[in-house]
Order: sequence, then C-alpha cells, then structure tokens
Amino acid sequence: MTSFIRSRVVVPSLRTALKQILFGCELSRTQNHNKIIQYIVSNNSCSRFYSTEKKVFQRDKPHCNVGTIGHVDHGKTTLTAAITKILADKKLAEMKEYKDIDNAPEERARGITINVAHIEYQTDNRHYGHTDCPGHADYIKNMITGTSQMDGAILVVAATDGVMPQTREHLLLAKQIGVKHIVVFINKVDAADAEMVDLVEMEIRELMTEMGFEGDKVPVIHGSALSALEGKNEEIGSKAVLKLLDAVDSYIPTPVRELDKPFLLPVEHAYSIPGRGTVVTGRLERGIIKKGDDCEFVGFSKVFKSTITGIEMFHQILEEAQAGDQLGALVRGVKRADVKRGMVLCKPGTVKAYDHFEAQVYILNKDEGGRAKPFTSFIQLQLFCRTWDCSVQVTVPDKEMVMPGEDARLILKMFRPMVLEEGKRFTLRDGSLTLGTGVVSKILPALKPDEKLALSEGKKAREKKAAQAKQG
Amino acid sequence: MYSQLILKRFFCNSNSLFAAEKSLLATLRKKTGYTFSNCKKALELNNNDLTKAESWLHEQAQALGWSKATKLEGRKTNQGLVAATVQNQNAVLVEINCETDFVARNTNFQEMAEAAARACIEFSKKYALGENPLIKIDLESRQLNELPTADGKLLSDQLALMIGLVGENASLKRGICFKAAEQIHLSVYTHPYGNERNGILLGKFGGVVAFRQIRPSGVDIKKLGKDLCQHIVGMNPDRIGTVFDKPAGNTDDEKCLIYQEFLLDSEWTVGDLLKENGIEIIDFKRFECGETDKRIEEDTPEKITTCQ
Ligand SMILES: Nc1nc2c(ncn2[C@@H]2O[C@H](COP(=O)(O)OP(=O)(O)OP(=O)(O)O)[C@@H](O)[C@H]2O)c(=O)[nH]1
Ligand SMILES: [Mg+2]
Repeated sequence: MTSFIRSRVVVPSLRTALKQILFGCELSRTQNHNKIIQYIVSNNSCSRFYSTEKKVFQRDKPHCNVGTIGHVDHGKTTLTAAITKILADKKLAEMKEYKDIDNAPEERARGITINVAHIEYQTDNRHYGHTDCPGHADYIKNMITGTSQMDGAILVVAATDGVMPQTREHLLLAKQIGVKHIVVFINKVDAADAEMVDLVEMEIRELMTEMGFEGDKVPVIHGSALSALEGKNEEIGSKAVLKLLDAVDSYIPTPVRELDKPFLLPVEHAYSIPGRGTVVTGRLERGIIKKGDDCEFVGFSKVFKSTITGIEMFHQILEEAQAGDQLGALVRGVKRADVKRGMVLCKPGTVKAYDHFEAQVYILNKDEGGRAKPFTSFIQLQLFCRTWDCSVQVTVPDKEMVMPGEDARLILKMFRPMVLEEGKRFTLRDGSLTLGTGVVSKILPALKPDEKLALSEGKKAREKKAAQAKQG
Repeated sequence: MYSQLILKRFFCNSNSLFAAEKSLLATLRKKTGYTFSNCKKALELNNNDLTKAESWLHEQAQALGWSKATKLEGRKTNQGLVAATVQNQNAVLVEINCETDFVARNTNFQEMAEAAARACIEFSKKYALGENPLIKIDLESRQLNELPTADGKLLSDQLALMIGLVGENASLKRGICFKAAEQIHLSVYTHPYGNERNGILLGKFGGVVAFRQIRPSGVDIKKLGKDLCQHIVGMNPDRIGTVFDKPAGNTDDEKCLIYQEFLLDSEWTVGDLLKENGIEIIDFKRFECGETDKRIEEDTPEKITTCQ
C-alpha cells in the first residue's frame, strides 16, 4: 500500500523515470511527449489528491479558476489584494500585499512567458485560483497553455470613469477565451455618488447585453476595494467584497472535475501477455475505470469495443483506477496487433476521431525555443496530442503570415482522423523544433475525399489548380 | 430583480426633480462619452444647463485631456500600432504606443494612428527632394508631437484628447518618411495585413521598401513591392547586402537580405528573385511595435539621410 500512495505524489520527472523502468518504454519516444505528459500531470494533481486516503491533504472544496479583467487603474490589483485580506481575516487565504501582486512575475508555463499573478484563496464553498494579468496577449497565452483556464471573470469598472471605450475589447476577449460567466464589481464608489453608480450599472448591463452576455442577469456589486484594503467604511469595504465573493460563488458554475467525466485512457503501449491476453498501458486522463467496464478503442480510422477484465498499477491488481493513475488494463478479445500507441481506450460512444478543426494557437518566439521565421498557409507540421502525433496542413485564415511570438486562429487538416475534442490542448512541431502550442476551439466537418487528396499536393499542383479555376 | 431596478429608475425619472438631474447626467454622458466625474463637474459648474455643460465639456476636453496626459505621463507604453502609407512618391511609417493591447484594438486609438500617418505624409510632401533620388527623414517623438493635423491642431493635442477619452497613457514614438524621385518605386506593408483605415495600413509591424527596375522584365511591380515588403517585415534583415557580403552558414541566421530565403517561396533567395525580375533594392526600413530602436533613443535633431 505504501508504494501505492507514494505513487500518487511523485514529481513528474521522477514519474516519467519510474514509468520507464516499470513499463520499459523507449526513452526517445517518451521525451517527445514530455511536455504533454507534464501538463496532464499538473492539471490532474488536485483531483488526484482529492480522492486519496482521507485527509492526506485537505482539499475537499471544489476548485474554480477566476480572474480580474478591466481598464488599467480601475482597481483590479487593489481588489485582488483586498480579497486576500478579507479572506485572510477568516483564515481562508494568505494576505497578499498590493505590491506583491502588482509586480507580476514573468511566468513560464510550458516554455511560454506570461505576465501574470496567480493568487489562491478559498471561500466557505470553493477553492479559487485567481489570475490578474495585464494584457490581451497574456490572457490568450494563459488560455492556450491552460495553466489556469478561467471558469469565470470579475470585471472591474470604476464608478468615477464608467465604462471605457476599451471595455468592449475586454468583453470581446472574455468571449474569445471562453469565459461565459462574468461578475461585475463597480469600484471606487467612495469617490462617486449614488446616481453615478446607478448609471454606471445601467451602462455596463447595456454593454454586456450588446456583447452577448446576460446583461440583465449578471450580478453587479458596488464597493470600494481601497476601503476594504484599508479596513475603512465597512459597508462599501469589506462587506462589499464579501458580497462580491458570494456572487462569484453562486453565479460562476463549478467546472466538471476530470474525475467526474467519462473515462479516457490514451494508449501508450500494448503488450501481449501469454496466457492472459492483451494489456494496454497509459495514464488515465479522466474518469474512473473499474474491472468489468465496457470500453471502446478509437483511433487510426478504427473503432472497436472490448471489456476491461483487469487493472494493474505498479504490479498490484486493483479493482478500479482514477484520473491521473498510470496503469495497465487487461482487455478481452483484442489482439496485440489491433491496438496501437495513439489510440484511446474510453467509455463507449463518448469520443470520436476528427481530421479537421479550428484552433487558437500561440507560436513560440525564438527565445522560447520556437523558430525565428514566420510561416504562411499550407505549411505542413507535426501535431502532438496525448500519445499520438500526426501530420497536419495549416491554413491561416485571418492573416497572410504568422510571426513568432504571436497568437493566431488556425485551421488544421490532419492526414488521418484522430481522437480530439474542443478544449483539447496540443503541440505543433517542425522537425525537432516546438513551433507552438494550441487549443482546439471548434471541430469542423470531416474532410471530403478530394480534400484529403489535396493535402499531399505540392505547391506547384496547388498553383496549377488555382490557375485552372481562374480560367474555367 | 435587476431589471426591476432599472425599470423603477426609469419610471420615477419623469416625476421627481432629483431624478430629472439624474437623467441629465445620463444624457450628457451618453452624448459626450466623457467620464462620469467630468460630466458631473460640467453640470455643477453650469447650473445643470445641459447645453452649456456640453459646450463647456467640449471646450475643456483639450485641457482635460492634457491634464490626464500629464497625470499618466511616465507610465510605460510598449503596446500600440505601426501605421504605414504611400502617396505620390512619399511613404511613411509611424509608431504610436499605448499601455495595453486592448486600447490598440480600439477605434479611438486607430483614428489617432491614422491621423499621425497623414500628418507625416503631409510633412514629407512639403520636403524638397532636390536632385536626390531618395531621401529618408527620421522623425522622433518631439517632432511628431509638433506636426499639424488636418484640422490645424497639433498631433500632440489630438493625442491628449485621445488619452482623455481612453484614460491610458499613449505616445507618438517615431516615424520615418521615404521621399523618392519618379523612377523609384515605394511600397509599404503592415502585419497583420489588411487592417486599413482610409488608405492607411495598420499593424503591429510595418515595413517600407524603395526599389527600382534596372532591366525591363514585365513583372507586376505593385505585387512584387508588396511581397518584398512582407518579406522584410517577416524576416527582419539588417542590411541589403552587396557582393562583398558572404552568406551566413545557417539560413535561419541569415540577416543579409539578398541571401535570405524568400519568405513566399523558399526555393529562391531574395537575391535570385531580384535578379530574375531586374530589380534593385535601394533602401528599406522595418518597424516592430514596442522594440527599442537605438537610433531613435539617441537624442539627435531631425536627421536626414540622402541615399546615393
Ligand atoms: N478612491 C478609490 N481609489 C481606488 C479604489 N481602488 C483602487 N483605487 C486606486 O486606483 C489606483 C489604481 O488601482 P490598481 O489596483 O493599481 O488598478 P489596476 O486596475 O490594477 O491597474 P493596472 O494594474 O495598472 O491595470 C490606485 O491608486 C488605487 O489606490 C477605490 O475603491 N477607491
Ligand atoms: Mg494591476
């Protein structure tokens, strides 16, 4: 049992090493996926702890990621500091000074530099990760790397100024990064009068409705972050902050935990064990699997069903395993040759393979290890996701080229369908170079046979076709 | 519940004096877009006379903008836009900065970038070319501030107005004008390409190139100019290069324009492309928004370089 528990808290590198020893996979192949694996580990760690023996680590509240957005100077940082102060008084957070939050460290998440401050706190109901980042680009990078995908946002508007011209851009951004739930804090009411505050509220509701949010339903709290921070005017100070937190608690829904989703295991290897059958190994990405569960293999244009007849982890037989566990699953009636690295084993009917999708991608600059040159449409790259990789052809719909250090919307056409879904993160590589990292934003209709053929055409053929189309 | 709140306010508006004032503030704000604090001040100073308050605001806008600009002075600006345009043998690149990229996406700011490019073009047009085939004029922040806009104000006044409106610091960073004789072609490009306001291109990067045809080849000059400029923006060469330059060992590190792989067709080098089409590049300049440009940082007076 000891080894079992320890296995749940090993650090990623050690984990990879262990895995190599235990499952004997080749070093080079694992390295390719290192980044992806590490990401999955960090993403799952909270749910993993959640379910170990009771009280190893007290995190029995659901987790939720939020962030502050809004005009410079309207008090985002002051509010963030005030929240930690008020919650620290209730022993639910560690007090953060304004200056600690303001000097956001350049964080490197998966090799990408982001200017953000990450703060943690809890209310009576939930545990929060709170992001305060200054620019549009930082929010996009944050979304793409997925280190703290925001489940909701707090829009800060100063009552003294009202809605600013660029508040529209802030809301647009929220939509773009998939934030559907926004709570509004009208700040600096200590420096404004009641009628101004009311008018600001009306304005913000109007704008939110116009931008496609539920303008008449969003909670709008009036208060003064500065008063709260300085412990003055309780009514608009600490009480307002608590009211805001209540609104955040109730209006922003708790995201579904990985553990609660239908199970999915990206296959790393398949072995044939004489006398027992085929075992597939990998890290359970989400959900829980139990001995006896029906399952399905999907990938490489194949789909077939099976049943899990045994689960093994670190040479121990288990009845069930859960998201984050590195395991081997014995499957019935499947030949070793039918299963390939890159397939997924999942709950039947829950996933599908696709070959055409839209993604939001961040292209690394040279300092981050990316390439120095921009690229244009039709470039062919290698896409790495889960345990598979596949050639893709890239189309850049909004620009003529993509520069290193930029984010872009890309249309990706894969040479074969593989398992994907919206919100899934992946890496793009060009030879040995990591070119960028992205997140699937929209699945597009499957490629038609002629579109598939066109993927392997060279530049000359494309030009010829285009010329013919012009003439005809 | 919230919609009730709004409704309630709406209903009492018509019958109480206090509410009438409320709607005055709302009307003024809606009409002018100035901050609530300023609208309120305007009403107070003008005894709640809407018309007077409005004209007071417009009169004060310039002063208010300046006071905001002064207040925000010193806050770092490294986001923004590069604007580029060509008109009658004059081409300009100009960079204006702001604090966040949110503002750079806003129309107020884009109008400002457009105005700055126009002011530079007018400035360049007035310059005498003389016998020179091409002159380049570097404009630094101080000089840009003094340029007149179409309505006779200074660019710095318009900038202050915009600062008052968006409430964020902004600055005119640098500009460059290319002025060329008839036989020379000028092209500009901005990336991302396609964001255009009344003939002025806007982007995060900008490039200008001056070239001429030394042998007739029937090439589409306009298209070639644009492609070359896109190449310069994308590949960031640091010099044109001559026969005395040696190609770098690694194509990725190549900084010499003629030895670089052509961005739009890696089978060619730019040098080959030029030769094939009988083209000679005379000069180019690239702006990347937010970069530190050493030449601009030195505090030299207006600098004019004459080529060839
Ligand atoms: N009167 C008053 N001033 C406030 C209040 N909250 C913040 N401020 C002041 O507003 C200024 C800006 O606050 P910040 O918290 O730095 O604003 P921010 O939104 O984080 O600004 P950036 O990080 O620059 O985008 C500071 O001088 C604060 O002291 C408030 O409730 N009332
Ligand atoms: Mg701040």
